[in-house]
Amino acid sequence: MIDSIIQWFEKLPGIADMLLHNGLDQTLIIFFLTLVFGLTLGLVLALGRMTRFKIIQLPVRFYLLIMRGTPLILQLYGFYFGLNLLLGIRIERTMAAVVAFSLNYAAYFAEIYRSGIQAIPNGQYEAAKVLGFSKAQTFFKIILPQVVKIILPPMGSECMTLVKDTSLAHVIGVMEIYVVAANNMSRSRGMEYLIVAGIFYLIMNMIVSKVFGILEKRMSYYR
Amino acid sequence: MSVLSVTNLQKNFGKLKVLKDISFQINDGEIVTIIGSSGSGKSTLLRCMNQLEKVTKGTIEINGHTLVSMNGDTPEYASKEVQKKILMETGFVFQNFNLFPHYSVLRNVMEAPVQVAGIPKEEAREKAFGLLRKLGLEEKADAYPCELSGGQSQRVSIARALALEPKILFFDEPTSALDPELTGEVLKVIKSLADLNMTMVIVTHEMAFAKEISDRVIFMDQGVIVEDAAPEDVFNSANERTREFLGKYHDIA
Amino acid sequence: MRVKKLLVLCVSAVLAGSMLLAGCSKKEESKTDESLQYVKDNKELILGLDASFPPMGFTDKDQKIVGFDIDMAKEVTKRMGIKLKLQPINWDSKDQELQGKTIDCIWNGLTYSEDRAKEMLCSESYMDNHQVMLVPEKSKIKSLKDIKKQQVGVQKGSTAADAVDKTEELKNAKIVYFGNNVEILNDLGNGCDAAVMDEVVAKYYAKKDPGKFKILNDNLSTEKYVIGFRTGDEKLKTEVENQLKDMKKDGTLAKISKKWFGEDLTTIK
Repeated sequence: MIDSIIQWFEKLPGIADMLLHNGLDQTLIIFFLTLVFGLTLGLVLALGRMTRFKIIQLPVRFYLLIMRGTPLILQLYGFYFGLNLLLGIRIERTMAAVVAFSLNYAAYFAEIYRSGIQAIPNGQYEAAKVLGFSKAQTFFKIILPQVVKIILPPMGSECMTLVKDTSLAHVIGVMEIYVVAANNMSRSRGMEYLIVAGIFYLIMNMIVSKVFGILEKRMSYYR
Repeated sequence: MSVLSVTNLQKNFGKLKVLKDISFQINDGEIVTIIGSSGSGKSTLLRCMNQLEKVTKGTIEINGHTLVSMNGDTPEYASKEVQKKILMETGFVFQNFNLFPHYSVLRNVMEAPVQVAGIPKEEAREKAFGLLRKLGLEEKADAYPCELSGGQSQRVSIARALALEPKILFFDEPTSALDPELTGEVLKVIKSLADLNMTMVIVTHEMAFAKEISDRVIFMDQGVIVEDAAPEDVFNSANERTREFLGKYHDIA
Repeated sequence: MRVKKLLVLCVSAVLAGSMLLAGCSKKEESKTDESLQYVKDNKELILGLDASFPPMGFTDKDQKIVGFDIDMAKEVTKRMGIKLKLQPINWDSKDQELQGKTIDCIWNGLTYSEDRAKEMLCSESYMDNHQVMLVPEKSKIKSLKDIKKQQVGVQKGSTAADAVDKTEELKNAKIVYFGNNVEILNDLGNGCDAAVMDEVVAKYYAKKDPGKFKILNDNLSTEKYVIGFRTGDEKLKTEVENQLKDMKKDGTLAKISKKWFGEDLTTIK
């Protein structure tokens, strides 16, 4: 009994090494590129959502509804198969996943930005105005830095969800760590591949959590 | 010489008429306090002059620039450039300070000169230090607004308003958000500015202070100017409304 | 103001894109069959598989995709003078992958069914596929007749599930649907009393864990393994079939079959 448990544990480092070389790169590419594109697009969407101009605000609201109101897994299908079959646009699998993830997460990020921007007291805008700051200067110098502090906790939470959601990319044939582990399980019949994959997600999220902890600490110099 | 002139100013919030036909002038170096009960429109008047509210009707001229004038029946505002120029030539001190919480005291003071006026950082830093020294805040230069007392915060916001070297300084109830024991230090600072011949427009509830510092006192009630005269004339006025209002304050005899 | 302009630009781009999406319909495919020329021009045949179906096509310990189907396809493409590219896909979207030309064929223990023949072009069968029943080694179930109200596990959407539906002896049984065969086997003996799956797969797992379960003798149904091509790709299909016939004649196919099954199970004539 003890022997078989030890044997089982001895398999784990080998599996971890295998996953490091197979699948992890795809998972990380999707995660980091989604962060870069999603955070940028999210800010634009947040501004569009808050503008008084209905011609911009309404389409943005519609976009946010669709992106947050339909399953990410269907959006992945849409971006890979839909674009290909409807328009003949063939995107590389991983890039299609990055596009779908970015468009989806941008919607969530936009609402987080919005909650942060709306939490800034009006007096901050007025103080900037009477000092002669332009609208852009007010936003980027005065408002956004304060918004960042407010939205760090929900952003951290959303990033942890993103880490786990990357596993959905397998539905369009991206060989990320979940599907690599599952394919190996089909051969070996053992659960250990999935367990190690689970540990990978956990470690990645421990890092995400740590990074956001550091950022929050850095922003704690003021209240 | 008039540095500020307001003519036939009206401001409505929806159906509510907050300012009804306000006209007055302020000369260079003059210190004018505006008194009146809450809701009399005195804060709104100040905010109209500082572009925080758009006027419904009327003309405002500041430092020789026309901020807004009437074109037939509609108000016409000056170009963005002129608006910015006027903002840079005036300073505004808020009741609630509205300091930028993510910047240090020094950066709060030097940010507008650097970002808006384009003054080199080193020069702006030197100047900001100088202002803080004058206001007794030298050792707070690296502190953040959350570490300051109310009186210190208001002094920093005065320093911030002074950093652009304005020709006119506006105060919107500068001591109303402060504990009574902290108002003294702020009033002292404002008095020290008076000695420098700064033109100031002060909305306040501190009657003794108004009486002492002002060259002129404007009493507003229900959106109109009831009195605009020397302090001794206003505080000894025979006008019914003025006497009723002043009667609520015990600190003046 | 600049921010607003940028916004207007972005939004109009999105709008224009979606209008384009709605307005365009699927391009008419040309009627002439250029399927063989297509793979020859590409110098490769893209084989779609889900890489988790031992022993037909699966991921080995070195993370290479191997299997009986893979060895066959390698030999076929070698003889055609083109490369074989293995593309792991999600099994649920195999039709879309084919239509979208992101793969050229499905060759991964694909069982023939009439429904499938509507979605894709199926080759002649290369091997029989029996749906068999697996029970735990010590189970009292000796044949299909012993199943009363016990739980029977099958993979959802598989032809095994179809076979279970059509088997009279199982009409009182409680059918439990799983995502894949490994899940069924993990459950077998704990929750499920029996499982139904492809014979080759059952044999593979039975060999892997000797003494754990046994395969009953009676088949539920006999089906055929085929290769799936895009509808209309007749020329490519015929070429692959001809290559397989040649391989049968010269004994190559038998050799590959023996490597994976210990005997020649192929049915190509």
